[in-house]
Formats: sequence, C-alpha cells, structure tokens
Amino acid sequence: MNAPLYKYGLFGDEMSLVIAFVIGIGFGFFLERAGFGSARKLVSQFYLNDMSVFKVMFSAIVTAMLGVTYLGWMGVLDVDLVYLVPTWYAPQVVGGLLLGVGFVVGGYCPGTSVAALSTGRVDAMAYALGIFAGTIVYGEGYPAIKDFVNSDARGALTLPEALNLPWGVVVFTVVLIAVGGFYGATLVERRFGGAK
Amino acid sequence: MIPKGIGPRLALVALALGAVALFSEPHRGPFVKLDARELGMIVDSEVDHVTPAELAAWIVEGRSDYRLLDLRSPEEYASYHIPGAENVQSPQLAGYPLLPGEKIVVYSQGGIHAAQGWMLLRALGFQGVYTLFGGLDGWTDEVLYPAPPPGDDPKARARFERAAAVAAFFGGQPRAQAGEAAATSQPVLPKLAPPAAGPVVPAAPRGKKREGC
Repeated sequence: MNAPLYKYGLFGDEMSLVIAFVIGIGFGFFLERAGFGSARKLVSQFYLNDMSVFKVMFSAIVTAMLGVTYLGWMGVLDVDLVYLVPTWYAPQVVGGLLLGVGFVVGGYCPGTSVAALSTGRVDAMAYALGIFAGTIVYGEGYPAIKDFVNSDARGALTLPEALNLPWGVVVFTVVLIAVGGFYGATLVERRFGGAK
Repeated sequence: MIPKGIGPRLALVALALGAVALFSEPHRGPFVKLDARELGMIVDSEVDHVTPAELAAWIVEGRSDYRLLDLRSPEEYASYHIPGAENVQSPQLAGYPLLPGEKIVVYSQGGIHAAQGWMLLRALGFQGVYTLFGGLDGWTDEVLYPAPPPGDDPKARARFERAAAVAAFFGGQPRAQAGEAAATSQPVLPKLAPPAAGPVVPAAPRGKKREGC
C-alpha cells in the first residue's frame, strides 16, 4: 500500500469527504482539548504569558514532519505527491499579517473559531460572521487586487528546495529550532507570568 | 493533566528521531521534469514517429533492436496486437523495465494514448521513443489491408505489390480496389497466430528498398 491514498485511487471522492469529515472532527476535538476553543487562551500567546499556541503548533509541525520523513524513508509515502499550497511570497506575507491582526483582534484563527463555535461560544459566532464578511469583501474586491494576489509566484515550494539543503538536514534543523523554541517559550512564560 | 517531565522527554524523542532523520532520503515517486522547448521542437520536426510501413519492415527483417509497447487494454491486446508487442498500460509505464538507450515504439488504437505515452517516456528520460504513426488503425489500413494505388503508375504498382506481400506476411490481405469501402471499412483483424517469426523477407520488388531505415 502506498500513500497518498487518495491520489493513488484507493478511495473515491465520496469516501474522501467522509475521511475529511472524520479528520476534521478529530482536529477540532483536539484543538478544543488543547484549550484552543478559548479566545482568552489563544490571545495570551500574543501577550507572551501563555505560549501554548506556539508549543502546540510546533509539536504538530515536528510530529507531522517526522512522520512524513519516516514514512517517505520506508517507501510507504511518496512525498512528492503530498499536496502543497503553492507559494506567493509577497501576497502571502501581506495575507499572513492580515490574518495575524485578525487573530489578535478577534481572538481566533479560522480553525479554532470553528472549534469554539461548535462549543457555543458567542464571540466565535461573531468571528464566523466576520469570516463570511471578509470572504465576500475579498471576492468582490478580487478584480482590483488580482495582479498583486498572483504576483511573486514560486510554485509548490519545500524548505529543502528553497534552501537547497538535503532533506535530512532540514528535518534535523527544524527539530532543533522546535526544541530550542520550546525551551525559549518556557523561559518567556516564566518571565511574563501566567504559566504554571 | 500532563504529567510533569513529559515535555523534556518528548523533546528528547524528537531530537533522537530528528538526528536519525539526518540520513533519510525520502522515497520519490515517478516525478519528472520536462524540457518543454526540446520536446516542442521534437514534436515540430516530426522525428518522433515511425510509419506502419517502417515498423512492418523492421518486423519482417527480424530486427530486435527495439521494443514495441501496446498501450491498449489487455483485452484488446489479447484480441490482436502487432507481432512482438508487449502490453503495458499507461499508469505502469513509469515502472516498466526499459533500458535508457533502447529504441521504444509505442502504439495505441488511434494515436492519442501513444502520444501521451511518448510524452511520459520522454519525460522519464528515454531518448529513443517513437509513436506508431496512425496507431493500430494506421497499421490496419496501411499494413494489413493496403489499398491499391488509384492510377496506373508502375512505381506505385510495384510499391503496392510489395505492400501486398507484407500484408500477407502479417495475415492480412490487400484491398481489391482503391475506393473499396464496403468490405474493408471494418476490416477483420487477423487471428492471433503470428506468422513464423524470423527474417522471412517477402518477395520485394527489386531496386526499391526505401523502408527500414
């Protein structure tokens, strides 16, 4: 058996929706259990008194990266076939900043807002309305910003390609950064209080 | 809650896995890069195909310096295929045992699958890839059931006689007339009992040995 399963035709479109639903529910469940259904907890990240978001994100990245690496190494997963969101440097920097501002102001990112919405939080409902409004504004304004949105395209880029480094070196470096980041995050939490 | 001390332990595990992963080289699937301009020029110069007559001559001469790949379904392959053809489907082309320097001729019923297979094989780095011009349809029309020339040109007549001999070699037969359509519009493909392989050269008209490059 080889992965990615969907691209190799192991299941069809309907089954892929069912699997996406199950994975989505699991994703939301663990977001909620990690405390990410609370805007207070999420925004603490930006005030540096609770670095949970950073830690959870980085452990997810490291876990997924190691998993992909080992599965690829064993020949079970074809890493070239894993879907990658294409890179547009300038538009994504601007988009990232906008998302960051929305994160601080609204208290959620899109995924956590849905998790919070499902637990009945009113602020998450307001946030969801904001997502819809923003989507409409973006869609209607798209012709005006079309050129910028499609500028600086780099295709599907991976760190080993972008940095021209061997795969394993990038993996080990990211693990080092993550572990260092965890340690640093713990120090930051101690310094700015709030953490146990 | 999370037991105390689990964080550093997980960090150690991640570090160990990361250190081992230093030596990893993830398996890459059949991903390829194309030189789009080079391929475009090859297509444009029309050196990417062999004609049915050329292929027929190769087979008649008993040449074995090429591989012939039939990209149609196993059922179609079983009902008829050009002598010497190997059946392989497009998804399997990437892993099919071919040698880099081999001359490879691909064909399908018409020509579309063959052209796509040509592109795949070129992209995979095989240099000597050709499609059979016209596909199996072209083979049927030109080699198995050649039509006589319309005029009375003796050269064309001689060519047709040679083609008729080749057709007989492959179990086909020439059409009676140039315009004949009724009987041969749906020619019955010969039964799969390929003629005795080997250099059985049909009685070719003297002097004219154009094909076979």
